[in-house]
Amino acid sequence: MSILEVNHIEKHFGATQVLNDISFSLEKGQALSIIGSSGSGKTTLLRCLNFLEKPDGGTISVNGNVIFDAADPSTQQEKEIRQKRLHFGLVFQSFNLFPQYTALQNVTLARELLAKERGGESKESIEAAGRELLAQMGLADRASHYPHQLSGGQQQRVAIARALALHPDILCFDEPTSALDPELTGEVLKVIRSLAEQKTTMIIVTHEMAFARDVADQVIFMDGGVIVEQGDPREVIDHPREERTRQFLARYSEN
Amino acid sequence: MSVILGRLCEGFLINCQLFGLTLLFSIPLGLLICFGSMSRFKPLAWLVKTFVWIIRGTPLMLQLLVIFLGPGLLNWGNPWASVGNGRLWAAVVAFVINYACYFSEIYRGGIEAVPRGQYEAGEVLGMTKSQIFFKVTLLQLIKRIVPPMGNEIITLVKDTSLARIISNKEIIMTANEYASKGLIWPLFSTAIFFLVFVGILTLLFGWFERKLDYFR
Repeated sequence: MSILEVNHIEKHFGATQVLNDISFSLEKGQALSIIGSSGSGKTTLLRCLNFLEKPDGGTISVNGNVIFDAADPSTQQEKEIRQKRLHFGLVFQSFNLFPQYTALQNVTLARELLAKERGGESKESIEAAGRELLAQMGLADRASHYPHQLSGGQQQRVAIARALALHPDILCFDEPTSALDPELTGEVLKVIRSLAEQKTTMIIVTHEMAFARDVADQVIFMDGGVIVEQGDPREVIDHPREERTRQFLARYSEN
Repeated sequence: MSVILGRLCEGFLINCQLFGLTLLFSIPLGLLICFGSMSRFKPLAWLVKTFVWIIRGTPLMLQLLVIFLGPGLLNWGNPWASVGNGRLWAAVVAFVINYACYFSEIYRGGIEAVPRGQYEAGEVLGMTKSQIFFKVTLLQLIKRIVPPMGNEIITLVKDTSLARIISNKEIIMTANEYASKGLIWPLFSTAIFFLVFVGILTLLFGWFERKLDYFR
């Protein structure tokens, strides 16, 4: 059974159709890359999965359970949405770290709030887990730094640790390196690569074609709100079948 | 001279009372007005915005007179006569309404200046709306509003002397009585009271801003 199944997702902003009949599935432990030019709907798709946007049509299932059905309002209740969000983690293009908290506090805050509500984990064990995650990101010595004291690449790695702290089933990345200076993208991609090696289930919206080809088990190319082509990354990126994919990739290799 | 200084101090005590009471009530009332003007229920937002426009668009001195004299002129009796310090309380009411409107706009600016991404980051981490407000955005908001609030509060210190228009014997009014008898130095010396008070406030706000300097 697939860990994630997305069926016939539709999304309009006013008269503009941003997502048109989007369907795909993802297996546990796999990494999916979504490529395409800006405005193709990639980011909106991720935002729909994370309940930051509400699709106008379609269903989303995690582990076989329908967690969102546009036709069924009972799947859209505010209280449950909070719970359902936790299936997904999201790493933003612009990091969105909380500026008044240290790197470690950024990582532990949400988990502490959850533990306070439900009981269970002690503050100490959450903190230890947070430190471990930061160490895994190569930031053990930055735990008590505030976001503005960190480079963009370090901030993004803290953001990844923050998303991982809640053990999401599926970790989503929204162009995680687009806001970074070129010399800093490497450290972030390296971390994502190692997550892929540990079989973290991921969806990565990216403009880094070489990275998408190396890391992903599956690639989706989107254009104008539809999935134009999807499949094995070496097929889609090296031998695209569709004309639109070829044009897009040609523009990329020119740059 | 010491008698005169004593009288001036008594007068300044009224300024201080008015200052303290105005802050105490207008800071929370401003938040309420702010939420009203940002309400998604349009008629309410429209109503509140009109109210803020009227209060910010007319002189505080006029509002003092309306609050103090209005009820009597409308034959509602004089509510201010029934309380001990009626004139002071009338001034407090006028000041609270006036300053709450200014504060509400400062709050709104602060709320809108916190990036959307902060709310979204909280949401995807499974936080509730109130957790996001108290744990994520509140401190960022406070940091943003401290400088404009400091400005407004310093203006309030000096505005308190407007209360003399409804015969509150605050410091300027006290000093003016001497001036009308030909003794001018008490009037000029009132500046020292205000300068010292504002000086203390300035230090306080500077300290608070530095306290919040650890993040950006």
